[in-house]
Amino acid sequence: MSTVTAALTPPPTKPHASRATSRMALVIVSKYGTVFAMAIMILIFGLAVPNGAFLRTTNLLAIVNQSALTAVIAAGLTLVLVVGEMDLSVGYGASLAGIIVTGLMLNQGLPMPVAILVTVAMGAAIGAVNGTLVTKAGVNAVVATLGVGTVLIGLSYGYTAGAPIISVPKGFTDLTLGRLGGIQNPIWYMLAILAVLWVVLNRTPLGQRMQAVGANKSAARLAGIRTDRVTIAAFVIAGSCAAITGILLASLLGSGTVSAGDGYLLDSFAAVFLGAATLRDGEFHIVGTLIGVLVVNVGFNGLSLFGTPTFWQFVFKGGILVLAVALSTIARRYSRL
Amino acid sequence: MTREPGPTTPTDAPPLVRIRDVDKAFGGVAALKSVSLDVRAGVVHGLVGANGAGKSTLIRCLAGIEHPDAGEIEVDGQAVTIGSPDDASRLGFAFIHQEMSLIPGWDVLRNMALGIPPTTRLGVIDWRPMRVRAKAVAARLGMHFGLSTSVDDLTTAEKWLVLIGRALMHDARLIAMDEPTASLSFEESTRLHDIVRELVASGTTVIFISHRLDEVSELCHDVTVFKDGAVTKRVVGERTSKADLVRAIVGRDLEIPDHGRAGAQVGRAVLEVRHVSDKTLLRRVSLTVHEGEVLGLGGLVGAGRTELAKIIYGAQRRIAGEVLLDGKTTSFREPADAVRAGIGLVPEERRSEALFLDRSIDFNINLAKLDSLVSSPVLPLLNLVRGRKRAQAVADLVTVKAKSVGALVGSLSGGNQQKVVIARWLLDKPKVLILDEPSRGVDVGARAEVHRAIRELASTGTAVLVISSDNEELVALCDRVIVLAEGQVTGELVGEQITEERLVSLSFAARHGKDSAA
Repeated sequence: MSTVTAALTPPPTKPHASRATSRMALVIVSKYGTVFAMAIMILIFGLAVPNGAFLRTTNLLAIVNQSALTAVIAAGLTLVLVVGEMDLSVGYGASLAGIIVTGLMLNQGLPMPVAILVTVAMGAAIGAVNGTLVTKAGVNAVVATLGVGTVLIGLSYGYTAGAPIISVPKGFTDLTLGRLGGIQNPIWYMLAILAVLWVVLNRTPLGQRMQAVGANKSAARLAGIRTDRVTIAAFVIAGSCAAITGILLASLLGSGTVSAGDGYLLDSFAAVFLGAATLRDGEFHIVGTLIGVLVVNVGFNGLSLFGTPTFWQFVFKGGILVLAVALSTIARRYSRL
Repeated sequence: MTREPGPTTPTDAPPLVRIRDVDKAFGGVAALKSVSLDVRAGVVHGLVGANGAGKSTLIRCLAGIEHPDAGEIEVDGQAVTIGSPDDASRLGFAFIHQEMSLIPGWDVLRNMALGIPPTTRLGVIDWRPMRVRAKAVAARLGMHFGLSTSVDDLTTAEKWLVLIGRALMHDARLIAMDEPTASLSFEESTRLHDIVRELVASGTTVIFISHRLDEVSELCHDVTVFKDGAVTKRVVGERTSKADLVRAIVGRDLEIPDHGRAGAQVGRAVLEVRHVSDKTLLRRVSLTVHEGEVLGLGGLVGAGRTELAKIIYGAQRRIAGEVLLDGKTTSFREPADAVRAGIGLVPEERRSEALFLDRSIDFNINLAKLDSLVSSPVLPLLNLVRGRKRAQAVADLVTVKAKSVGALVGSLSGGNQQKVVIARWLLDKPKVLILDEPSRGVDVGARAEVHRAIRELASTGTAVLVISSDNEELVALCDRVIVLAEGQVTGELVGEQITEERLVSLSFAARHGKDSAA
């Protein structure tokens, strides 16, 4: 008993003890701050929202359900950031995917599974274009993906002439409206895709190479990694995930609508950067991204249950993002002193 | 006649710059040890020495970029503190480095006028008198190109003229030139020499750093030789021979080499480089590395050794020649192709080119051979446990000192970091391993262990190519050494022929001029 306590107590280092403690505290706050913030929000909302409406299982599941689509697109984007690049086309890719998948079913008469597969392949192809522009042509990722994204907006309008594609088959809307074991389908999709991406990033050669390319590109190259190929793979995965989110959104809305998914760009970036500030020092990772998405949606949900005007929700989203990232950056600087 | 010192140098006048007992250390390593030297006004003062001998550090102290730990600097007999480049410029010092500080895209006039304070009362540059002055300077230097030419369109030699012009626009009394002729042709160098003589004749003082000992003995009135941070030879106002300079650069205490060389039995040729040239530096370089051999690649920094290594490794382009592995022509498009063919590279800059400092040792080691950690042919999942064991095994082989292979590489000493990079290539026995400056930034103990690891690898049949600017290392480690100077092979030494003296002499062998390699 006493030996265990002795082992657990840090050795008393007198002169710098207080400085070390405060540094440690800062590191803890920055690493786990987002998680704490979420816990505190859940606590406050749980106590303060009338009739315990917040903590009801249905409400909690609703929050996760609302997070699912953002989490999928953000998880794909995470891989692009892991290799040290950017993808500003994901939101527009999602919008186009919603239009294409509904259009393929209604205008081209393709069966649903085929339409979905073709659409995901299209998303992958968009990613391949982005990745090739960035690696082989050497175009700056911000410019390349913004350009490609703008082309995608054009394609969306061209395909639909601006009018939404409606009266989708019931089987398609059931994709997202259905439940399995009492839990909404989108949550299952999200869990499955995030699990796959987590494994890819942490347990496959490709994932290790992605981390290496992002950490030190020239060292990765000289260690025998085909950096271009790895970077393109990350863009392809991001494009595919954007397409999946677009398909699921079209299913939820029951239509393929121009610019329906554009807003996912900012939401997913916010989630990924919040996630990078969580648990690890500024490293992009899948679990962090999921937490990032959840934090934003917990806040949104609680605030709307309070009846807070909508504009506050945006102030909250922007505020927590900037705060979390700033805090983790400062903490990292201190912890390395 | 050009050899006479400046017209008015009375012996009792104080030198322009007097340096007394200057010490400077970087992280405990002495870069300058009690260095004293006088730079007489109106002469060309040559500074020579091997890479890392202290010439550049001394210049950086004069330029206000570094500050001496001890000692004094006097200018015109008055003690001064040169705290910043600004102070140096106020003293009338100008510095021209190889990485040229020209603003790309700007024209010659604006580049020459850079740093000259605004001249009108409104704080705006008055270009008219500036242009007049620049024209006078241009005429003096014999610039045959217009002041409105963009510097992007100039040759290296012309860029040097612009930089010298800038120094003259600043009314510099002392101009320090760091290897001005390193990338100039013979004719261009000759012209630059004339300009230097002309500057000195009109009273400017020039500090001239060069590895070309012929031109130093030809051009400089005074020469100071550095070795390991200390002055080993001073020549004042007399002619010096290249051989004397070489002896001073090597130092008097030449050791008799003692090493366990593999001996004469050399295996078959593994790596052959035939007549390789690149765009800028290398010209028809050929060499062969045999099975089980440690071949050294000697020469000075900038001789083209790193470039050659990167060409072999597929990391850089060649414009002519071929590289053969096991007798077959290679066509590596990127390093990954070379790695697959069985070549490994331990790069010169290990922190920026080899390591992932925020990652664990096993991550850093396994990275080069991840595919062999996948057990299932269907799912590409890594066997992390096996990866850890495998990394531990090779790390033990080269005696990496760390708590476990889970430790972050950034927390290791330089020597242990280097061992991690070497360990990476021991996962599969490579056919060829190229090591670029393997013991730079490595402490003495670890250095011996790195050398032992290299010799052991060679004894298992790997062909090893070691690039080193440290001649002691080449003597101690290599079976055979090929020396490059200015992108060309200047000689080959085998076994007992490998001595520091011969290595230095070959390293300084100039490409042009009538005398060839010693």
